[in-house]
Amino acid sequence: MASTAATRTASGAVKVVKPIFSRDINEAKRRVRELYRAWYREVPNTVTLYQLDISTSQGREKVREMFNKNKHITDPRVIDMLVIKGKMELEETIHVWKQKTHVMRYFHESETPRPTDFLSKFYQGHDP
Amino acid sequence: MAEYVNLVRRAVGQLTGHGGVRGLLLQFFRANDIKTGALVGVDKYGNKYFEDNRYFFGRHRWVIYTTEMNGKRTLWDVDGSMVPAEWHRWLHCMTDDPPTTHPPVPKKFLAEVHQINVSGSAEQYYPYSTTRKKIHEWVPSKAGDQ
Amino acid sequence: MLRLPAVSRAIAGVAHSKTCLAPSNNFRTSVRASSNMVEVFVDGKPVMVEPGTTVLQACEKVGVQIPRFCFHERLSVAGNCRMCLVEIERAPKPVAACAMPVMKGWNILTNSEKTRKAREGVMEFLLANHPLDCPICDQGGECDLQDQSMMFGADRSRFTEGKRAVEDKNIGPLIKTIMTRCIQCTRCVRFASEIAGVEDLGTTGRGNSMQIGTYVEKMFMSELSGNVIDVCPVGALTSKPYAFTARPWETRKTESIDVMDAVGSNIVVSTRGGEVMRVMPRLNEEVNEEWISDKTRFSYDGLKRQRLTQPMVKDASGQLVTTSWEDVLTRVAGVLQSVQGNEVAAIAGGMVDAEALVALKDLLNRLDSDNLCTEEVFPMAGAGTDMRSNYLLNSRIAGIEECDVLLLIGTNPRYEAPLFNARIRKSWLHNELQVALVGHEVDLSYSYNHLGDSTQVLKDIAAGTHPFCEVLAQAKRPVVVVGSTTLQRADGAAILNAVSTIAQNARASSGVEEGWKVLNVLHRVASQVAALDLGYKPGVEAIRNAPPKVLFLLGADGGCITRQDLPKDSFIIYQGHHGDVGAPMADIILPGAAYTEKNGTYVNTEGRAQQTRVAVTAPGMAREDWRIIRAVSELAGVTLPYDSVAEVRDRLAEVAPNLVRYDDVEQANYFKQANELAQTVDQTLLAEPLIPPQVSVKDFYMTDPISRASQTMAKCVKAVTEGADAIEEPAIC
Repeated sequence: MASTAATRTASGAVKVVKPIFSRDINEAKRRVRELYRAWYREVPNTVTLYQLDISTSQGREKVREMFNKNKHITDPRVIDMLVIKGKMELEETIHVWKQKTHVMRYFHESETPRPTDFLSKFYQGHDP
Repeated sequence: MAEYVNLVRRAVGQLTGHGGVRGLLLQFFRANDIKTGALVGVDKYGNKYFEDNRYFFGRHRWVIYTTEMNGKRTLWDVDGSMVPAEWHRWLHCMTDDPPTTHPPVPKKFLAEVHQINVSGSAEQYYPYSTTRKKIHEWVPSKAGDQ
Repeated sequence: MLRLPAVSRAIAGVAHSKTCLAPSNNFRTSVRASSNMVEVFVDGKPVMVEPGTTVLQACEKVGVQIPRFCFHERLSVAGNCRMCLVEIERAPKPVAACAMPVMKGWNILTNSEKTRKAREGVMEFLLANHPLDCPICDQGGECDLQDQSMMFGADRSRFTEGKRAVEDKNIGPLIKTIMTRCIQCTRCVRFASEIAGVEDLGTTGRGNSMQIGTYVEKMFMSELSGNVIDVCPVGALTSKPYAFTARPWETRKTESIDVMDAVGSNIVVSTRGGEVMRVMPRLNEEVNEEWISDKTRFSYDGLKRQRLTQPMVKDASGQLVTTSWEDVLTRVAGVLQSVQGNEVAAIAGGMVDAEALVALKDLLNRLDSDNLCTEEVFPMAGAGTDMRSNYLLNSRIAGIEECDVLLLIGTNPRYEAPLFNARIRKSWLHNELQVALVGHEVDLSYSYNHLGDSTQVLKDIAAGTHPFCEVLAQAKRPVVVVGSTTLQRADGAAILNAVSTIAQNARASSGVEEGWKVLNVLHRVASQVAALDLGYKPGVEAIRNAPPKVLFLLGADGGCITRQDLPKDSFIIYQGHHGDVGAPMADIILPGAAYTEKNGTYVNTEGRAQQTRVAVTAPGMAREDWRIIRAVSELAGVTLPYDSVAEVRDRLAEVAPNLVRYDDVEQANYFKQANELAQTVDQTLLAEPLIPPQVSVKDFYMTDPISRASQTMAKCVKAVTEGADAIEEPAIC
């Protein structure tokens, strides 16, 4: 399907960039919705499968947050690429190719933010 | 029929054999068990050793720890290493002769006062480093010296 | 004493001029001026060279490297290793390229069959008596013999006989000798007699039984002795402290600057795993050529001892206890806020970088205090430090090679600035430099005219009544160098005036061109010029007269202020990297970084700004010095406006732009005006003789916090006082 779309646009008279999957923004949005739905359905499974110490709603909130983070993007090619990456993540999560820590990494629980002002940098170390 | 009566009698004995409701609850929460048995002996720290051969092997001997040992409160903070060496033999079925009937032969390596394991405490053993220090820091002289 | 005869000097002069990058070789210009270039061919390629050029230099000119062992650019030609044999077309036999001057029309064949055969043969002879112990040899990986035998040697051995073995010699606590490895290139012998100026090393025996040694059992104790380690092409002379500690390919090299003296030698710091393994020289023709002093090279183990790694604070009982940065900074800030104006003062020590100096000055200025001093004294009467020309080595170190009469006053450059002394010796050897000394009679490794050590001599020379004035009057390019310690006497201003008058008179009588500088001050510590450039007051007299409530010691370990000089309730903050003199008397200790641990700017005695680089991170909780001051300023409510080194350097550029023009010497002028101002001060000279603080070699080794903490330096002192046998070495050495 992708290849037919690509050939169709490539044969057009005007020079247009080659799409990845979606020919227009609406198609890209559809793909995003599909991915979101898939994630939404997968969250309860993930929570039980990985024995996460979070509730389903917290997981879904995080999924929503991850999608919202990229909502400013309007280029269908970029959206497609992000969808591809999202699908890869989803596949890895479903097949338990990840471990608990990899899933929990979305929540940034164990990360301390790097210091920004001089004094906290000074206290933390030599040259952070 | 008789075995059911026996069962009920043992159940009642377990409920009443710890000195009232308070003793029962204390026993339950400290040892996670309320079984009763024959008191074989008490060591000098107050640990009580029980035996009941009706339980299968491995559960037939147990210890109820003392509440205070070597100055440390051990009401809740119990440790397996509170059992002294002579009772350890009996408790782990290395022998059937408890030290009450067969007192241990005195050996000079046997501790007079049994010491609880210090792992995890401030007195725990650190292996000393055999590597050279890269930086030797300055140690200020003692206040009165100058 | 080795003074080359005129003819051979001319040849050697040409030999040097090809390889030395310095343009300041006036003794060579006479040869060059009368040149009619000679055309020779190297492997068929034509090249025009001056007559007298050696074959090796002609080849170097077209970029062909000839293998060599005994030849060294800065030493005289010996021509005894025979490794540089090359074939000359139509010559009956190969010639030693390093010693043979070229003739017109020669075709030098550097890669012919005959040449390669000759090299292979020489290499076979060299290896016949060389042990094959490269795996346990400290030179392994940076050995000329190893490299060249791979390049030019045979691929198999025909050798079945036994090898010669030579007994090792104990020549001091710095240099380890494995004399069996020696290939008798005599580079060390030539270095000792020509550069270092000590006739300690020599050869005995002939042929197979030839040995390098000190004739009798004695130490090779020169302030430049460590350089024979670099000069030695094989592993015969290696570093004793470095023995068996690291391999060259394991270490990370950082190009840096030395701060043990005011010369600012360029160094390479080799580090491995956060530890300085050794210090080696870096080429800088303007400063240190390719030599460094022993203190620079071997005192690095002082960086690992007696270090301040944790902030400390004095508790109720008066004992210093370790604490956290938060705690200690809050205390310092509180103390600084509790006083106002000139109740707070600061003293900067001898190893502080310009960044820390400017940060401390900004901090104190923001607290309305201008009590900023350096430990080193400099007379403030007259022009004082207002004229930059007053406190610089204006002629520069390389400029010594151009002068013809040098007057040293109250200084012992051999131990105060060994590489400056090496320059004087080089000039004395090759340029017939005349040296005269006013001050204590010391061994300078070259002969000089001792004029006496009393101040009366100075007065006489200034007045023109001394016999030496005739010599000065005939000088074409005179130079006068006064030691900074002489100016630290009570009559320093008068001495400076006398010296500047001598310089002005010499300048007038010589008729030298406008740019030539006569008056020079030779400093002893690395931070002094930067501190004076930034407006620090030299000397702690002001602090002693008006004791402050809070005293900030920035690496001040000279011991010029003690607890007794201050009132009981005064508060002392020490910031530095070693627990030496300053730390024990402090109420609060802020651990700073040593010169290998920070990006710092240092200005040497010439006024040349150079920067050190971070080779290892500061140990423990120590931080870069300017960062500590910046952090204190924030907590004290007077935040300094810089967060990074770049911003500090912008601030440095505002105060003194020359401090950030790295590797560039800013010219200083107004000698005449400075002299006129100096006339206004009290001219009475004290009768005490001019004696520099470092008179003999044992005073040289331990002069600053790092070298005082160094065990190697302590061994050197012990060795020179009690003899080499007094040092107990581990059996492995």
